[in-house]
Amino acid sequence: MSKKATQNGSTDAPIQISTLPPVVGINFGNSYASIAEDLAECIANEDGERQIACAIAFHGEEMYIGNQAKQQLVKNSQNTITGFRNLLGKKFSEIPQSENTTSARVIQHPELPDTPAYKVQVLQPSPAPLNSNTTSAYTTPAASHAPTPRSEPMLVDRILTVSEVATIFIKSLVQSAEDFLGKKVKGAVISVPSTFTDSQKVALEKAAEDAGVTVLQLLDEAGAAAATTTTTIWSGDSLHPDRTQLLVDLGASGLSLSLLSVREGLTYVLADSHTDAVSTAAIDDKLIKFFAADFTKKTRITLPVCPATAPIDQRAEAKLRLAIEHTKRTISASPGAATCSVESLKEGMDYTGSINRMRFDMLASPVYAAAAKQIASLLAQAGIDAHDVDEVVYVGGTGCLPGLDSRLCVEVGLRDGVETPFARGTVVGGGVGDPTTILARGCAAQAALIDSITEEDVRAAFSRGHQAREVRATTKTLGLIFPNNLPENKEVGGTWIPVVQKETALPARRIVSFDVEVTEGSKRFVCEVREVKEGIRVEKVVEEASPSDEDDEDEEPEEVEIKHRTLTKETLFGVIDTQAKLAIQTKGKGKDAGKWFTRVEVEFIVGIDGALDVELREVGGDGAVEKLHVSPL
Amino acid sequence: MAAVQTLTLVVPPTPASYAAPAAASSSRLAPPHPSGHRALLPVGPAYANHLRLALHHAHSFSSLDKHLEKERERLAALHSADNAAEDDLGVGSEEEPEELLHRDPKEWKSQDHYAVLGLSHLRYLATPAQIKIANRKKVLKHHPDKKAAGGAAKEEINSRFLTGVNLNTNDDAFFKCIAKAHEVLTNPERRRQFDSVDPVFLEMEEDIPTAAEIKSKRLDFFTALAPAFALYARFSKTQPVPALGTSDSTKAEVEGFYDFWYNFDSWRSFEWLDKEVNEGSDSRDDKRYTEKKNKTERARRKKEDIARVRGLVDLALSLDPRIKRIKQEEKDAREAKRRAGAPGAPAKKTKAQEEEEKKAAEAAAAAAEEAEKAARAEAKKQKAAAATAAKKARRQQREAEEAAGAA
Repeated sequence: MSKKATQNGSTDAPIQISTLPPVVGINFGNSYASIAEDLAECIANEDGERQIACAIAFHGEEMYIGNQAKQQLVKNSQNTITGFRNLLGKKFSEIPQSENTTSARVIQHPELPDTPAYKVQVLQPSPAPLNSNTTSAYTTPAASHAPTPRSEPMLVDRILTVSEVATIFIKSLVQSAEDFLGKKVKGAVISVPSTFTDSQKVALEKAAEDAGVTVLQLLDEAGAAAATTTTTIWSGDSLHPDRTQLLVDLGASGLSLSLLSVREGLTYVLADSHTDAVSTAAIDDKLIKFFAADFTKKTRITLPVCPATAPIDQRAEAKLRLAIEHTKRTISASPGAATCSVESLKEGMDYTGSINRMRFDMLASPVYAAAAKQIASLLAQAGIDAHDVDEVVYVGGTGCLPGLDSRLCVEVGLRDGVETPFARGTVVGGGVGDPTTILARGCAAQAALIDSITEEDVRAAFSRGHQAREVRATTKTLGLIFPNNLPENKEVGGTWIPVVQKETALPARRIVSFDVEVTEGSKRFVCEVREVKEGIRVEKVVEEASPSDEDDEDEEPEEVEIKHRTLTKETLFGVIDTQAKLAIQTKGKGKDAGKWFTRVEVEFIVGIDGALDVELREVGGDGAVEKLHVSPL
Repeated sequence: MAAVQTLTLVVPPTPASYAAPAAASSSRLAPPHPSGHRALLPVGPAYANHLRLALHHAHSFSSLDKHLEKERERLAALHSADNAAEDDLGVGSEEEPEELLHRDPKEWKSQDHYAVLGLSHLRYLATPAQIKIANRKKVLKHHPDKKAAGGAAKEEINSRFLTGVNLNTNDDAFFKCIAKAHEVLTNPERRRQFDSVDPVFLEMEEDIPTAAEIKSKRLDFFTALAPAFALYARFSKTQPVPALGTSDSTKAEVEGFYDFWYNFDSWRSFEWLDKEVNEGSDSRDDKRYTEKKNKTERARRKKEDIARVRGLVDLALSLDPRIKRIKQEEKDAREAKRRAGAPGAPAKKTKAQEEEEKKAAEAAAAAAEEAEKAARAEAKKQKAAAATAAKKARRQQREAEEAAGAA
């Protein structure tokens, strides 16, 4: 009876539990970063940006982070810090000093030995002139009892180490994520480039810990991309679960390529490469030069850029550099021309110009060509023909350019119908194939996965350099040959159904299901379990100029290489020869009418020791079941 | 079970002439890449399953399948429980009778706000969160925008004289009812006023049995009165309220119960039934008059309410079998004590005598009353007789006079 009065609503509302675990994925690039939550959606920060520039600027008493900070590059470049990620964990002596930077300089830390740091000028509130308890009516000559006003804030130099800068930045990212989720972030998966050394990873981990985030895993960019591309959201129904994937990450600091073997979600790197020589910085420079030339043409004001020497030109260049970010995004998103507008570019003259896709691709052509060359050399190094690449995945803002995709497909010699996000139309409109969000979403999915794992030993195997990652993998493709005399199957004398692809991590299990036609009398069907060798046959075909093309008359007929996949029968493991029990005759008037079919399911299990178990089942109640065993190596 | 890749191809039949080649018994798989040549990317559920396979299931797929199946069931159970809790806090969805949907929003005073929001099953127990959810549900369902779109599509206007004329002008009536209900129920003061005269409560109040009913229908004391007390308990400012209890409640419990209910402190009030001040007239006097009337009316109702509760408690006390039992027990205890202490015969005698005397007195009183009644009746009779006699005499006299006159 002593309980507090509850006149209305005396039933307790059930406690509300959200199913979203408070873990996030962070794609921490050198120029841009992005964050994503568990549903693998990219989170926008307070300014509404999904692509958050990795920049921190100090202006007076204010600190700007993200794209706001980038704006400071125009007027306040000496106090704006960019490109700090790649310096994490490096010694001062390791950093090349010759770089002509447009942002705050990297200096040697005045106290810590061999440590890179940034010096920025900030306004600091000056200390109170007197302690409050000493200001009494007796000691103050002034008539007023009010304390002496503080003097103006003072300009002081502040030294920030690279690690401190990274901590500030990560903290702001996490803050954005917390604002979005409405609760404290428990852990994060952060992407790192494949070029990061162990000491750099340690430094990044430490910076994240300082920012108050538990790092669940540092994920290679290739891994982060794979975490997205192995999901069903990505593959839909059309992508084969076993495929060879080429990952192209063309960024401001270089080109990273990875050739991945994706086998039902299990992924490993067949070959990878990284080069600093090919980067989008070259595209930016070309574009700036183009617009500067256009400006000169329109206004007759000379504007030497890239490199600019005079401060006025440097400022103009910085303005253009900011403006072309927008231009590039427009080029990526819409087929029309993209504009570039800068107010008061130089000498008070405004500039508005436009560029269409074709001209843009012409400008970027050398970069595209260099990228194609890199890919070709990577494929050669891996010993894989371009024809065998099943899917291309782009990562990073430049990957949104349709020109890059079409150019690479042609120049590298990828086969027709290779899967790219552009071919599938998932790049624009917030699609799953948006190259700018792939990494962050992969990290988020990975964070949610690690968070959901309860087994301690399994969780441990996600950590860096764990030996459980090492696997044995098949070298040749296993499958079934159903013998027949069809002309298109002349090569191996039957219909070939690949089941376990080469480069599949062991142990592996695959189940395929398909229809088999049987003859009415015997209902017999036979298949050979075989290992095959796959190859490529190149056929040179002289393309005849069509008679209607009169303009091309004087052109020589072009020789075109046409590639075919070839098969060579190798080891035979056994023959399954059985009779269908559940065959059904097709009714109706179609071309299959009167024929007998049965549906079979074949399961292949390749053990870790190289043993092979094949089981063929007819789908249905008491169908025929055949088994085959191959002893381990 | 692992994912099955369904291929669209159809394998043609095996030619009858096919002769199977003999497989070499020594055939083995091509040697795989040695361990260490390939390193998996530690990503995705597939990698987690690969690890489980190696670490917990000795590379046996069937064992892993069982584990994953169990895990999935566990998660599904967890998730479904989660979803139910998250969704609507048990607001659910109630049927909407036609008459409710066609209510006039102007008559909101007589409207059942809980029914409008679909909270009839919770009523005064509904939490603010539940009210919020219920309101959102109803608004989503009955928003005029939605109705306009749905209505136009549903019934094609077949008369061309009516094309372009909006026939559903009263479309948002129920939406207005919802808005009013939400307004009332989210304001604690207004909600208290409404709860005080909740129509469903008033109905239930009617069903409380009277003393006569209990006696005539021989109702069980506890089953008849416990619901009545439970009904009034909602108005108590102090919670929880002691319940009527059972026939074997202890003395302390019974006393506590009556103690509480005789000092019942109710928050019930009757502002809801106020007469509206006439909006049209600016007359200050008019207004004051209405306000005064309302105030007295409120006070009267409150008084009635208090009297009603008091009457109920009185009724309960008078009928309570436990009181008799407790008295008997007390008496027995006293007697037992006395018997144990001193020779109880005289005391007992006096007691018995007293009772007898009381009985005798009662009988005497009854007899006296009877006698008095009889005497009164007698007197009445005599009086009546005297009156008729007088009348008779008067009539005779009149007749004699008339006769004399005629003569």
